[in-house]
Amino acid sequence: MTELIVDELITQTANRLFSEICGHEAIQNAETVGEAPEIWAAYSETGFPWISIDENLGGSGGTLLDALEVLRLVGYYSVPVPAAETGILGGWLLSEAGLQVPEGIVTVLPDLGPDLTIKVDGSQVSIAGSATRVPWARSAEVIAILFQDDGNNYVASVNASDCVITPMTNMAGEPRDSVRFDGVVCSYAKVSESIDAQSFRLRGALSRVALMAGAIEKMSQLTVSYTNDRVQFGRPVARFQAVQQHLVWAAQDAALSRMAAESAGIEATRGKGDFEIASAKLIANQAASRATKACHQAHGAMGMTQEYPLHHYSRRLWSWRKEYGGDAEWSKWIGRLAVAQGADGLYPLITGGSRVL
Amino acid sequence: MRFTPTELTASELALQTEVRQFLKTELAPGTHEPCLGMAARKDKPFSMKMAERGWVGMALPKAWGGSDRTAVDRFIVVEEMLRWGAPVGHHWVADRQTGSVILKFGTDEQRKRFLPAICRGELGFSIGMSEPDSGSDLASVSTRAERATGGWLINGTKIWTSGAHENDWFVCLLRTSSMEDGNKHAGLSQLLIDLQSDGLEISPIPFLDGSHHFNEVTFNDVFVPDENVVGDVGMGWHQNTTEMAYERGGPDRWLSPFSTIEQLLREAKGTPLEQAVQDLFGELVARYWGIRNLSLSVARLIDSGEAPSIESSLVKEMGTRFEQEVIEKLVQLIELEYSPDSHSLFERMLSQCIVTFPGNTIRGGTIEILRSVAAKGLQGLPV
Repeated sequence: MTELIVDELITQTANRLFSEICGHEAIQNAETVGEAPEIWAAYSETGFPWISIDENLGGSGGTLLDALEVLRLVGYYSVPVPAAETGILGGWLLSEAGLQVPEGIVTVLPDLGPDLTIKVDGSQVSIAGSATRVPWARSAEVIAILFQDDGNNYVASVNASDCVITPMTNMAGEPRDSVRFDGVVCSYAKVSESIDAQSFRLRGALSRVALMAGAIEKMSQLTVSYTNDRVQFGRPVARFQAVQQHLVWAAQDAALSRMAAESAGIEATRGKGDFEIASAKLIANQAASRATKACHQAHGAMGMTQEYPLHHYSRRLWSWRKEYGGDAEWSKWIGRLAVAQGADGLYPLITGGSRVL
Repeated sequence: MRFTPTELTASELALQTEVRQFLKTELAPGTHEPCLGMAARKDKPFSMKMAERGWVGMALPKAWGGSDRTAVDRFIVVEEMLRWGAPVGHHWVADRQTGSVILKFGTDEQRKRFLPAICRGELGFSIGMSEPDSGSDLASVSTRAERATGGWLINGTKIWTSGAHENDWFVCLLRTSSMEDGNKHAGLSQLLIDLQSDGLEISPIPFLDGSHHFNEVTFNDVFVPDENVVGDVGMGWHQNTTEMAYERGGPDRWLSPFSTIEQLLREAKGTPLEQAVQDLFGELVARYWGIRNLSLSVARLIDSGEAPSIESSLVKEMGTRFEQEVIEKLVQLIELEYSPDSHSLFERMLSQCIVTFPGNTIRGGTIEILRSVAAKGLQGLPV
């Protein structure tokens, strides 16, 4: 089996760019304004949004693993852009359907609302109803929608300007807008049967896992450095065993979620990683819960203020934990799969993952 | 600190298949009472059968009776054994650490004398660290080894010594010169002591359920010849720290409850419990997958010549807490009054887990000590 590794240049370039353009104030400003066009401009100029997407359809080439590395760093620096939506979610849907990927921002509907109807009519579809929690719809050029009709899977490419968009946010102040479609007519194309609601949800989960792994790592490092600087009782608080416990637990969760994210990314890049993605999302969800608790506790009151950057990471983690599947959804999914292997197949599933399924 | 994902190669996967086949034949499910991880029964014939396959001391060089295999190969054998609940107690310590210590610090005579016998699965070792007044503060050990003609005379007491009543040899951390001011790590040495020596007395310290694992070992002028000093006199602390790095972060730190989990799945099949088990197993399986990946990456780091002491401390601290968490979740799930003499194998195993697992976060360095090691590493301080 050939070893899959990330192009090192991607890590270097992303680290350099994000540390330049994404300081505390820039992130704060994006939250206040509701978008960050200048950060998007610098980000998209590198071609990052379209890594892993076919160059003939407007992509930048590269592997899914490369794209996930960028997402990990987007999470690490809290870069306020729709990186996952434009790239491995929306861009992926459009390119899989053979549709042109636009130069601007693309977003997707994480869930098709109950009142959303999509009617196929010859070479076009007509969409009515509404969708909620749509990331960055306000800034998007195109909304890519995966839908099923008569047993086939299709992707519709909607001009965002044809929709009525109501700005909403998640707990981190990231755009999660409501979108109303008043009989919007747009083009669509068929995708392979393997691209269905389930595989889209897994891919969404994979994107969040990468972002979360980056955010947990950053939060853990920030906490080590803060507790080394903060002096109480005549010494840095990091010298106290009770505080060290928080540092260690946060570092474990950073390591665990990054390992999970990268392992799942490798299997997904090979084309078959459902078990790994589901496990990684559950791990990241729980790691986010433990690590935010530990890091906030170690920071004391300082971590509860807007002027100190911890909240960029913790609030994003609390939000991302619930996107593309919370704890209950994925633990049920994995539990069903695990029990179906039987007692003798349980450990082989843990060691072999999707490859033995 | 960096854990890099790693995958098993084709030959490693072949080894995994071979070990699984061996276990199916030797210990068919239903024909043996599974053990709980490394606190497994001693079964010398079983150890010798493993040794015939080259699976004891497998990372040691061929020249000394080993198989020249890697830390990852050993990881594969160990995880399958523990997962199966195999009786690995006899060779456990020698395989995990003593063989490596003798290879790394011992003389050629010691290598020749001990390593081939370890690799044949013959010799059982105990470890002599704790004393009545030295637990987590290990460097304060006071059992003395004093110069005598051709060797050393030992006086003092070691406690919590697992298996001393059944094993052959004792690797002891002893004070060979008095504590220097401000440097209690100096003056310690590691000696190999025959557990049959004159003046050496072994008495049981019954485990909380009355079973016999622990011992108190007292030395009254026990003579140990010079040829049994491991490494340099006075370098015992350094050697011991190296030894502990081998001890940490492996599958023995997170797989102890696995045979119990498997048995639950067997017994819950088709009962009203099945749905609850399914709901719980999602989380358990995901966590197991994640922790195994971390632990495997530590073995890979060792093979690349690194000394991942921070990484292995983090994994051990997390793994042993996870073991206890697993058992707590099972306890919450099962509305039965299980007992050690239940007719159900699962209930017997669960009872044993409940009674023995508080020790998992203590043995081989308490989690509090591990946190302090790891926290220093995270801050870039010397460990």
